Amino acid sequence: MTQAALDGVRILDLTSEMGWYCGKLLADLGADVIKLEPVGGDPARGRPPFWQAQPGRETSLRFWYFNANKRSATVDLGQHDGRWLLGELINTADIVVESWTASERARLAEQGLDPAAYMNERPSLIWVSITGFGLDGPKAGWEVTDIVAQAAAGIANLAGYPDGSPMRIAGNQAYIVAGLSAAQGALLALLQAEATGQGQHVETSMQEALSICQETSHLQWDFQESSRQRVGESYRIPGIGTYETQDGFIYSMVGIPGFGAPWTEVINWMDESGMAEDLTEPVYAETFANFNLRILLDPEEQAKHAPVLDRAQEVLTKFYASKTKTELYEAGQGRRLLIGQVATPADIGDSAHLAAREWWLELKQPTTLGQDDADLRFPGPPYRLSETPTSIRRPAPQVGEHNQEIWVDEVGIPAEDLIAFAGEGAV
Amino acid sequence: MTSTNGTRPLDGIRVADFSWFGAGPIAGRTLADFGADVIRIESEAKVDGLRLGEPIKPGKTGYNVCAYFNNYNADKRSFLLNMAAEDARDVAMRLIERSDIFLSNLTPRVIERWGLTYEELREVNPGIIAAYSPMQGLWGPHRDFLGFGAVLTPTTGISHLSGDPERKPVGVGTNYPDYAVNPGHTVVAILAALRHRRRTSQGQRIELAQIESVAATMGPSLLDYTANGNSQTRKGNQSSWMCPHAIYRCADDASGRERWVAIAIANDAQWESLCAVADGAAFAADDRFSTLLGRRRQEADLNASLSDWTASFDAAALAIHLQSVGVAASLVHDAEDMCEHDDHLAERRFYEYLDHPETDISLYDGPIVRLHETPGYLASPAPLFGEHTFEVATEVLGYSAEEVAELTASGVLS
Repeated sequence: MTQAALDGVRILDLTSEMGWYCGKLLADLGADVIKLEPVGGDPARGRPPFWQAQPGRETSLRFWYFNANKRSATVDLGQHDGRWLLGELINTADIVVESWTASERARLAEQGLDPAAYMNERPSLIWVSITGFGLDGPKAGWEVTDIVAQAAAGIANLAGYPDGSPMRIAGNQAYIVAGLSAAQGALLALLQAEATGQGQHVETSMQEALSICQETSHLQWDFQESSRQRVGESYRIPGIGTYETQDGFIYSMVGIPGFGAPWTEVINWMDESGMAEDLTEPVYAETFANFNLRILLDPEEQAKHAPVLDRAQEVLTKFYASKTKTELYEAGQGRRLLIGQVATPADIGDSAHLAAREWWLELKQPTTLGQDDADLRFPGPPYRLSETPTSIRRPAPQVGEHNQEIWVDEVGIPAEDLIAFAGEGAV
Repeated sequence: MTSTNGTRPLDGIRVADFSWFGAGPIAGRTLADFGADVIRIESEAKVDGLRLGEPIKPGKTGYNVCAYFNNYNADKRSFLLNMAAEDARDVAMRLIERSDIFLSNLTPRVIERWGLTYEELREVNPGIIAAYSPMQGLWGPHRDFLGFGAVLTPTTGISHLSGDPERKPVGVGTNYPDYAVNPGHTVVAILAALRHRRRTSQGQRIELAQIESVAATMGPSLLDYTANGNSQTRKGNQSSWMCPHAIYRCADDASGRERWVAIAIANDAQWESLCAVADGAAFAADDRFSTLLGRRRQEADLNASLSDWTASFDAAALAIHLQSVGVAASLVHDAEDMCEHDDHLAERRFYEYLDHPETDISLYDGPIVRLHETPGYLASPAPLFGEHTFEVATEVLGYSAEEVAELTASGVLS
C-alpha cells in the first residue's frame, strides 16, 4: 500500500463555494478533510448542474465534483455551543481553511471566534483565509463573486470583442485560481510547520492571485503606458484565429516561425486535398517562406503583402470549412501544425486521448435518500504522482453524514452531549 | 510585501529549471519566491521565446529587455547549457545530481532526445522530484501534439463555454491556462512530493498533462455531460442562478476610455439594496423584476434597463457605492487601473518594482499567496541571459575555471 502524499494531515474546511477547490486538491492528495457545514447544509449544495437535472441538496454535480473525499459534520456557528464545538474541532486540525466574507469574519470575531487566538493557543496551527481582496486594504471588506474578481483582476477587460462587453472566462476560474493559491500557501506553510513546529496565517487575495493572468497587459503599461485592450477576433494574417468548420470551430495558430511546421505545410495539405486553388503559385510559398515575427506584428508589413495574405485567407477559410473540427485537429497536428479544436464538453468526454490515458474515474455517488446511487464517470486529476498518486476514496458526503464519527469518536464529545446539542439545533 | 529577508519554506531546495515560455517558468518563479535556488537552463541554440517577445523596454534591444520573460524569471539564476552539444548531458546530470527538483514543460520528444526521462534522472539522483508538464502528457495518442495556452483554451472547453453565444468562440484574449492554472497545479504537486520525500526520502515523477490540468478546472460542465449527456454551451456573462449578473457600460472617462462595471446579485436582499441605490431608475420601480424568477425570465430587458442607468455613472465610484450597501461589484480594471489607480493594490504593495540593469526600475507580479510569518519575496530581478553561468558551473557544479573555459569554448556552456 503506497502512502499518500498528505497522509496524516487533518484539515478543517469551513469554505463556501469560492474556497472548495483548495480542500479538494488537498483531499485528493490524501489529507483527511472535514467539511464543516451549517446545520441545513452548505447553501451552495443547491447550485447547478444537477444529477438528471433534478435540483436538490444531494444532487448537485457541482457540489459532488468539488467535495468528493471530504467528510461532513454540521454545526450552527450562530449558537454559543456551536462555536464551542468548532473550537474543539479546530484543536484536532493541522490546517483550517475558510473563505468567510468580511462581514462574517467581523461577526464571528465579535462572538469570540478569532483566528489569531487559536494560532496563539497552538503555534503549530496553520490558518488559511481565502478572500476576495485580502485581509487588509481599502477593499478588504468588499463582496466578491467570480465575475467581480475577474473584473477587478484586469482579465475580464482582455476577454471578449472590442465592440461588446468585457467577458468572464467560464468555469468560475476566479474560485479555481483562489483555491490553487490557497493550496500552494497551505502546503508551503505545512512544510515550514513540519520542519520547525511553527504554523502561521496564510492569506489568499483572489484579485491578486488572478491578476497574474493579465499576461503582458500590466507589463506593457509599465514599459509603454498603454493599456492592452480586448481584440476579440481581429484578422491580421491568414492561419491565426478561430475558423468555422463543418461541425464547429477550430483555433488555428499556424505559420509562426519556430512553432511547428511552416505555412507551406498548410499549402501542401490543401493541395493534397485538391483545395489549394492558386496558392500553389510560387508567390505564396515565397511570401510565407519569408514569414517572420515582423510580419506578424507589423501592420505596415502586412499591408505590403495584402493581396497575397487576403487570398490565402480566403482559400484557407474554405478549406477549413470543408472538414470537421476533429479531422482538422488530428490531421493538422499530425503535420505539426498548431491547431486546436474548440472542444465542447462532449468532445472532451468522448476524447480518445483522455480515454487511452484512463483519465476518467468511476465513482458511485449516493443521491437523495431512497434513490439509486449515481454511477459517475468522474473527471480525473490535474496531475499524476508516480509514488503518491491522487485518489478519490469516497464520494461527496451528505449533509452531516459523519457527525457521529467526527464529534463523538474523534473530538471526544460524549454521545449524550451530542444528542443534547442536536436537540438545541447546534449540530 | 515589504520583507526581503528572513527564512522561507523552500530555503535550501535547488531546482533545475529546464522549462521555458510561460507555464513552466511561472511554477519555478513561485518556488523561487518562497526560497528555492532556481537555476534556469538557457541556450543561445534555443532562446526562450519570451525573451524575444513583447513588451520591450523602449529604446532597448536584446535578450534582457522583454518584461514578458523578466516577470516570470525574477529571483532565478540563468545558466547557459546547449543540450544539443556533445558532453552537455554530463553537465546536466551533474546539476540533476545536486538538485532536489527537476522542472520541464518540454515536449516528450525533446525529453527523450536530451536523455532527461525520469528513469535516467533517477539513476544519478534517486531522490529527485521530476516534474514534467507537456501539453498532452508523456504518452497517449496525442502525445506529440503541439500548443500553447492559446491552443489549450479551445481544446479544454474554455473557449466553447466563454463569451457571447451569438458570436464565434474566440477565446479569452490571452494564453489563460499558462499563468495560474498549470503552474499552480505544478507547484501543488511538487510541494506534496517534497513532503513525501521529507518523510520517506523517496523521490518521484510528476506528470502534469496540461490538457488534463485545465480540464480538471471544468469539472461541473464535464460531469453534466458524462452524467446527464448535456453538453453545455456558452452564455456570455450570464450566471446559472445569479441575476442580474453582467458587465455594464458606464460613462467614458475624460479621455474617451470605455469604463465598465461588473455587478452580481445573489439574493433578493442585494437586489433591494441595488434598487435603493438606483432610486428613480426604471428597473428599480418595475415589479416584474422583484423576484429572482422574474429577473431571470426578463433578463435581457433587465440588463437593458440597468445599462441605461449605469451609463451616466463613473464606474469606479459606482462600484464603491454598491459595495458600501453590500452589493458585489467592481470596476472592470484595465492595465492602467491595475498599475496606477487601484489604491487597494497599492496599499497592499502587491506589485514589486525591482531595479534591473537593462530595464531600470520595472514592475513584477508579487507572490501569489501571503504567508504571514515566512513570506515569499523577490530577492533579485530577472537574470541577464547567461548571467550566472560561471558562478553555477564553479560553485554549484564544482568545475574549475579551466574546465569552464573548455566547456565554453566547445560550445557546451553557450
